[in-house]
Amino acid sequence: MAEAKSERFKIYSIAIVVFLAIISILYYISAPVYLYIVAYMWFGFIFGILQQYGRFCFASAWRDLIMVKVPRMFVGIMVGMMTFSIIAVFIFTYYPERYHTSQLGLHGLIGGLLFGLGMVFAGGCATGSLYKTGEGNMISLVVLLALSFSQAIFAVTVFDSIFERFIQSLPSFSMVELLFGKPAGVPEGTTYHVQYGDYSFWQHMFADAGINAILIGVILLIGVYIIVVRKGFLKRRAATMAASADGGEVKMGFKDELAGFWHMISSSKRTSIAAILIGIAAATMVFSLGWMAKHYDFNNFGNVLVAKPASAGSNTVSSTLPASQGWPDKTYPSDVAVRSSSTVFDPGYWYITTQEAMAAAWSIKAVGLDSQPADGSPGYLENNHYFGDYNGLPVPWHSPALLLSFGLILGASFRALRAREFKWKFPTKELFIYAVIGGTLMGIGARIALGCNIGAFYAPAAFGDPSGWVFFVGMGIGAYLAAKFVNFTANRKMADMDFDIEL
Amino acid sequence: MKFNKKDDGSYELDVTGYVCPHPQLYTLKSLEKMKDGMILEVLVDNPSSVESINQACNGKGYTILETNSPKAGVTAITIQK
Repeated sequence: MAEAKSERFKIYSIAIVVFLAIISILYYISAPVYLYIVAYMWFGFIFGILQQYGRFCFASAWRDLIMVKVPRMFVGIMVGMMTFSIIAVFIFTYYPERYHTSQLGLHGLIGGLLFGLGMVFAGGCATGSLYKTGEGNMISLVVLLALSFSQAIFAVTVFDSIFERFIQSLPSFSMVELLFGKPAGVPEGTTYHVQYGDYSFWQHMFADAGINAILIGVILLIGVYIIVVRKGFLKRRAATMAASADGGEVKMGFKDELAGFWHMISSSKRTSIAAILIGIAAATMVFSLGWMAKHYDFNNFGNVLVAKPASAGSNTVSSTLPASQGWPDKTYPSDVAVRSSSTVFDPGYWYITTQEAMAAAWSIKAVGLDSQPADGSPGYLENNHYFGDYNGLPVPWHSPALLLSFGLILGASFRALRAREFKWKFPTKELFIYAVIGGTLMGIGARIALGCNIGAFYAPAAFGDPSGWVFFVGMGIGAYLAAKFVNFTANRKMADMDFDIEL
Repeated sequence: MKFNKKDDGSYELDVTGYVCPHPQLYTLKSLEKMKDGMILEVLVDNPSSVESINQACNGKGYTILETNSPKAGVTAITIQK
């Protein structure tokens, strides 16, 4: 029986790969340039495998550290982010247009706090909920739905006023700019968005990777060692040494501290290996997509969707962008991309929440809840900064980053099936409520902070953008408060149980 | 969630169906209520909780006696306090 199920799981896992291969071929036949979004999908597949293998979830990083004193995931995230930061400097040298910084301000802290609260209630962060959905966990699917629709609703209702009043005019800068000043020719005190190449390779390596990612990461790891791991480790080590020293005096020194620190780093090989591979995969993704965009001659995938096909006669298409070699010979409606810039959300690196908000908004539109005005002007869902000016509303199968999320779920399913860890799990009433509240808080938090645990922390922190750490601190405060609440409810629940233990 | 006595000094905690952080939280809270030397078998179907339970037990000095998979998707962890 168990063997038959195991065999079935293997077949399902192979079916997933075949399914993705067929999708890839269909995209390529449709137009070679679609390999760009196919690459997003396969990178998502790799992230899904690695996340499922390493149980990689940002909620776990804070929550388990606070609630059960397990630093495994916190260590994993820091190791992965530091790895990513070093490789990113090399990649930006080749593809400087992929480098960007976000506005730094209180919105990052508040958004991070709401996100941190939400991820502990939900039982997983945004990317963690994707991989757990792939394991058959339908509670995580509820989280994703709440996350997606809360973002979409927030974006079309209150986001604009918050963005215009408090965020839009905030400065954005990188650590290299903080340490070495404005680039030559740019007066101090002026607003300038730093570009990659304004500074030398070694200045970027020192400031962005060395200081912003690695130094801060190592300081945090030392802090976690001292607060969470050190006491227990040295106590156990002293007991072992005393036993082998036959009761002789045991003294602990710096060497033992180093052993304790290394023990913390290496205690979960699975997580550490996955973290390093995720860092490498994230960097390879930036490089590959940068190369493909150059190869197929576009800056943003939206250019491809709104281009004038080669076969189109004059005045048949509103767009004046000409199609390049390998682009689709097809006209898409004008509302698939941002009208003013012919772009769609195409971050070029590992990103999670925005594409889900776009999918939710698109589905609202698809069921006819937002009818397009007859004159072709923007409908309600498009008439805002978030969808109308920055991200667009492409159909899901033309939304690059959504293909990443899709691939991530299936990658996690693939690995869970191979490891016999796939199991359908459906929410109880209690877990459903936690999932909806948690997903909604994460969605609102992600929009206020302009990103989630990946887009507002992991990538910016690795790219030298200090705004990532502001989100990280907010996320920690939120996780701490939520952990206290969950712990309180768990204690109440256990007080009602009959443990029947004779103490 | 079910907590049952299996034998003298031996208990079973079934947290299947739960997601993070509940399995690891209930496991540690159950162990806190038990005496040194007692044994707890935890049934869990949330893979990330398995990793956290192992790490938390190592940190507390509890011994993981056995880990196996009684059926697909479910892990049984036997812990001695």
